[in-house]
Amino acid sequence: MAVMGAFAYEDDFLGAAEKLKSAGFDNISLLSPLPLEEAYEVLGLRKSRVRHFSLFGGIIGALAGFALAVGTALVFILPTGGRAIIALPPYFIITYEMTILFGVLFTLLGFHFVSGLPAWHDAPYMTSANIDRFVIVVEGATEDQLTRAEAIIKDAGADEIQRWVADQ
Amino acid sequence: MSRESSPELFDHGQPSYADVNRDVLSTMLETGPRYWILLGSMISVAGVLFFMPWIYQLFVGVGAAGMNRNAVWGTYLSNFIFWIGLSHSGTLLSAVLHMTNSQWRKSIYRSAEAMTLFSLMTAALFVMVHVGRVWFVHWSFPIPNEMGLWPNFRSPLMFDVMAITTYLTASSIFIYMGSVPDFAAVRDASTGIRRRLYTIFSFGWRGTAKEWHTLGWAYTFFAVFVIPLAVSVHSIVSWDFALSVVPGLHHTIFAPYFVCGAIYSGTAGIVTVMYCLRKFLGFERYIGQVHLDNLGKLLIVLSLIWSYINILELFSTWYSGTSFEIEALKFRLTGFYAPLYWEMILFCAFVPLLMLTKKIRLSWNKMLVISILINIGMLTERFIIVATSQPRKFLPDAFGFYLPSWLEISITVGSFGIFATLFLIFIKWVPAVSIYEVKETLPPPRRNS
Repeated sequence: MAVMGAFAYEDDFLGAAEKLKSAGFDNISLLSPLPLEEAYEVLGLRKSRVRHFSLFGGIIGALAGFALAVGTALVFILPTGGRAIIALPPYFIITYEMTILFGVLFTLLGFHFVSGLPAWHDAPYMTSANIDRFVIVVEGATEDQLTRAEAIIKDAGADEIQRWVADQ
Repeated sequence: MSRESSPELFDHGQPSYADVNRDVLSTMLETGPRYWILLGSMISVAGVLFFMPWIYQLFVGVGAAGMNRNAVWGTYLSNFIFWIGLSHSGTLLSAVLHMTNSQWRKSIYRSAEAMTLFSLMTAALFVMVHVGRVWFVHWSFPIPNEMGLWPNFRSPLMFDVMAITTYLTASSIFIYMGSVPDFAAVRDASTGIRRRLYTIFSFGWRGTAKEWHTLGWAYTFFAVFVIPLAVSVHSIVSWDFALSVVPGLHHTIFAPYFVCGAIYSGTAGIVTVMYCLRKFLGFERYIGQVHLDNLGKLLIVLSLIWSYINILELFSTWYSGTSFEIEALKFRLTGFYAPLYWEMILFCAFVPLLMLTKKIRLSWNKMLVISILINIGMLTERFIIVATSQPRKFLPDAFGFYLPSWLEISITVGSFGIFATLFLIFIKWVPAVSIYEVKETLPPPRRNS
C-alpha cells in the first residue's frame, strides 16, 4: 500500500519530501520528469556504486585484452621477419580497446544492478510524473502512517493525491 | 537550486514541459503518407543501388569492381573511411558536451548519436563489400574454429575490428541508455502492442530519484569511455594506411589528420541532419539559431585545423626529400585526380570561411549547402588518399591506375539510401529529441521563483 502526491512545483515537492523525511518516513520515492540534484540531496544519494563497476570492468578488460592478444599469438605463431611474437605496441592497442569495451559493458551492468532495473512489476506510479508533475510516493507504511503522510503531502501543496494498492 | 533555464535556445518561445512531450512524441506516433513515400524511396535506393550490385559482385567476384593488381584498394575503402568519419561527431560531440554541461547539446544530441550509429553500420557494410568473400568475415574475430586459426593482432586491420566493434557497442549503449526515460514517456502515451514493447524497452522506468541518480553516473562514465574511444577509432583507421610503407600514406600526421577530418565531416553531417529534422519533423521550436551558430563556429575551427594539417602534410612530404614521396605528392597535386584534390581544398578549406559571417552562420539554407559541400569534399579526400597513393608507389613498374566502376559508384550512392532508411526507421522508434534533457533547459516550475 502506498500514497502518492503529485506537485506542479518543484519547490513544493522538495519541501514535502524534506518534511516527510524529518517526520520519520524513510520509504519514500521521488518521481520527476527530469533529474533533480536537490532530490538526491533529500534522499542522501551521493556517489553511486556504478563507479566501482566501471573501474572493475576497465581492469578486467585490460587484462582480457592483453591476454587475448598474447594468447592468440602463442597458439597461432606467425613469425614475420624475426619480429617479436609478443609485440607490445600493437597489443597495447587491443588492450586499450578491450579496456573501454569491458568498462562500458560493466557500467551497463552496474546501472542495472544499482538502479534495480528492469523492474516490470507493478509499482506505484503516475504517468504525469513523466510529463510535468513531481510525485512523492510513500510506501510500506501502516494505515495511520499513510494518513499522516497524506496530510503532510496535502499541506505542502499537492495537486492530486492517490492511494495505491499492489495487485494481489 | 542550481538548475537554470536557457531561453536563448528557443527561437519561438519556451515550451512547457507538457508541450515538449506532446511535440516530440507526435513525431513518433503520427505518421503521414509523406513519411512512407520517403521511406519506400530510400529502401528502394538501398536495395537497387547497394544490395543488388553487391549480390551481383558476390556472384561474379570482386574483380567486377575497378580495383586491379596495383590498386587493390578502391572506393569501398574510401567510403568506409568516409562513413566511419561521419560517425565521429555524433557520439564524441555528445560526450564532450555532456562532460562540459553544455545546454545547447540537449536538443540535438540524440539525433547526432543516431547518426553515429547508422554511419558505423554503413561503414561496416563497406568492409564486407570490400573483402569480397563476405562469408569468411567471421575469421577476423577471435572465435575458436576447427582450423585452429586465430587473428593476427599485430595487423592494423585487426585493430580496426576491435575498435569498430567496441565503438559500435559503446555507441549503441550510449544512445540506448540516454533514451530509457524517453521510452517510458512513449510507453505512457501509447496503447496496445506499442505500449507493451516500450514497457520492455524502458525497463519499467518510473523516474525515481534513485533511477535518475544511477543513470546520471552511468551516463557520465559512458561519456568518459566514449571520448578516448572515438579518438582511438579514427586513429586506428588512419593506421590501416599510415602503417604501410606506401608513399603518400606513411605519415605520422595521419592519426590527428583523420581524427580532425572525421569530427569535421561529422559536424557538417549534424548540420545536414538538423536541417532535415527541422524541415520534416517540425522541430523548429527546439533546434534554433543558437545550435546553428555554435555548430557553425565549430565547423570554422575544425576547417582551420584541417587546413593546417593539410599544409603540414605537404610540407613534411617536401621536407622529407624522398623522391618517392615527392612523386606521390606531384601526382596528387597535378596528376589525373588533381581536379578532385583542388575541389576538396575549395570545399573544405575555403567554402567554410564563409561561415565567418554571422549572417551566413544563421541561415539554415546556406548552412545546409555548406555542410553538404564539406561532406562532398571529405568524401573526395578519402577517395584521393586511396586512389592517388597505392597505385603510385615507388618504381614505375608498380604504378597502376584506379577508376571506380559503375558497380562501385552505384554502391556508393546506395549507401546513402541505407543510412537514410535506418535514420527514418529510427525517428519512428526513438524520440529524435531528448524529452527530459530539453526540459532541463526550461525554467524550473517553482512557486517561489
